[in-house]
Amino acid sequence: SNRSAARMKDRPLLRKGFYAAAGRGAPLDVLSVMSPAGCSHVSGFKVDNWKQNLRVIYQCFVWSGTAETRRRKAKSCICHMCGAHLSRLHSCLYCVYFGCFTKKHIHEHAKNKRHNLAIDLLYGGIYCFVCQDYIYDKDMEQIAKEEQRKFFFFFFLFSPLSPGVGEKYSTWEPTKRELELLRHNPKRRKITTNCTIGLRGLINLGNTCFMNCIVQALTHTPLLRDFFLSDRHKCEMQSNSCLVCEMSQLFQEFYSGHRYPHIPFRLLHLVWTHARHLAGYEQQDAHEFLIAALDVLHRHCDDNGKKANNPNHCNCIIDQIFTGGLQSDVTCQVCHGVSTTIDPFWDISLDLPGSSTPFWPLSPGSDGSVVNGESHQSGSTTLTDCLRRFTRPEHLGSSAKIKCGGCHSYQESTKQLTMKKLPIVACFHLKRFEHSAKLRRKITTYVSFPLELDMTPFMASSKESRMNGQYQQPLDTLNNDNKYSLFAVVNHQGTLESGHYTSFIRQHKDQWFKCDDAIITKASIKDVLDSEGYLLFYHKQFLEYE
Amino acid sequence: MSKDLQMRAAINQKLIEMGERERLKELLRAKLIECGWKDQLKAHCKDVIKEKGLEHVTVEDLVAEITPKGRALVPDSVKKELLQRIRAFLAQHSTL
Repeated sequence: SNRSAARMKDRPLLRKGFYAAAGRGAPLDVLSVMSPAGCSHVSGFKVDNWKQNLRVIYQCFVWSGTAETRRRKAKSCICHMCGAHLSRLHSCLYCVYFGCFTKKHIHEHAKNKRHNLAIDLLYGGIYCFVCQDYIYDKDMEQIAKEEQRKFFFFFFLFSPLSPGVGEKYSTWEPTKRELELLRHNPKRRKITTNCTIGLRGLINLGNTCFMNCIVQALTHTPLLRDFFLSDRHKCEMQSNSCLVCEMSQLFQEFYSGHRYPHIPFRLLHLVWTHARHLAGYEQQDAHEFLIAALDVLHRHCDDNGKKANNPNHCNCIIDQIFTGGLQSDVTCQVCHGVSTTIDPFWDISLDLPGSSTPFWPLSPGSDGSVVNGESHQSGSTTLTDCLRRFTRPEHLGSSAKIKCGGCHSYQESTKQLTMKKLPIVACFHLKRFEHSAKLRRKITTYVSFPLELDMTPFMASSKESRMNGQYQQPLDTLNNDNKYSLFAVVNHQGTLESGHYTSFIRQHKDQWFKCDDAIITKASIKDVLDSEGYLLFYHKQFLEYE
Repeated sequence: MSKDLQMRAAINQKLIEMGERERLKELLRAKLIECGWKDQLKAHCKDVIKEKGLEHVTVEDLVAEITPKGRALVPDSVKKELLQRIRAFLAQHSTL
């Protein structure tokens, strides 16, 4: 066809650029950025003082930044044929003519006057009537970008809408250097369903399996992985002892494709430096290590110095992923006044049956209903049982009276914990290690845990509905916000005195692997679900829009 | 031009003159991204491109395909909010 012939001549690579529907976007592919001119038909336009003329058009009719240009735009930008101001108004580039695109008024003008270029007043794109498409001339694009930036700089500076100062989001375009790098490094990695990317063993440096397991869990936390692999950490620390930098390095090692195990000596050294209580070659508690690691990472993520001012309102990646809110309601038994506090948490520690604190019975009003696909028939405890117990109302007893603000005296009360805000990654800690005054032992009771978990029954909002008389809310299958998927399990084998930690991690959608220090082996879902379970890592299934 | 169209044109002029049109556009843009509308339509665009073939699809094809869907998918809450804004603006500049 005529069109293809014209294009073949101009762009031997036969690529097109596309329009982003919601604003000026970069062409979809790198190659059209490389072509010298959008189409040859602009040559008639690019004469004399065309650059300045084009700028004026942008300033007056597309991105009108001053009161004067706005007034002119308001008055003159209507279709010369029908007077409409909508219908994708375009301005002729060769003369003062405005015409609708939708009703083809500008097309008629182009044909009659042989003016082959027009500009879209909404988005600033240049349309060529010969090519019958929007074209992307490098020089003209440059001018457009500059004019748009100028406009938005002042717009955002004085606008209450946007918190950012003077910068409009623009899509990524590769720099010359990046194009060079891409050309000199032609090897491309493709992720197939069976590839083992992200899997790497870790050498045990002397009872460091507790650390290795947590590292495996963290390197397979999807959002954390995305954060580090896209280089989002900008280090503000002066010394070399930033744990976040080391974490970044670790991700590079894990996704390098190397198959031999990694030796995490630098990580171990940094942990000893920043969490003294974990130093030494004894076996440590993996849960303690997790909390200490999250704490150090959180401290080292400077986040523009916000932490110095307000440590509780940090927006670092650790907080974004791991921090949830636990609501504690203390109800006075006399006046029924409720005192509520909300505390941040990184993990939920759950008591198990067989410990010195009684586990059964569960909360009043509970029954053996099936939740999360588990049932009591087998007689074994489930994770849901533990969560029910965790969120049950607890009588604090006559020896633990609370000063009631309503009664102005000490009264007996009940306390109840519920989830106010769920983190994106929920970590459940099964309290298997009992360290009471009388005994130190490990509780090996089997607790079954599901692959998919719905946290709705344990939310503060669900409790409120129950209190309003709506007992046993049917699980809302349409509300996806509280649904979680298991992605890592840390297990402990052995006794308190001598034991060994291993982990199961989920790589890709349904591939599970067992990580035993340097040895990584394929595992089945059954292997994972049959394991004892010490630390259970769940990831939200759906990241909802606000 | 009918009275209705005249009124529309006058309102539009006022909105542009006072810079309110750009502010409304940015507000709308933010709302449509927040509620996932932009992503929905982007996905639809990709489907259209795949269907018609990368070498043959034009901007017009995309505009024709996604305009009706885009219009239909704007949440009522967003429409309401924008309308409220415009009403408030007109109330303030009641010379119209």
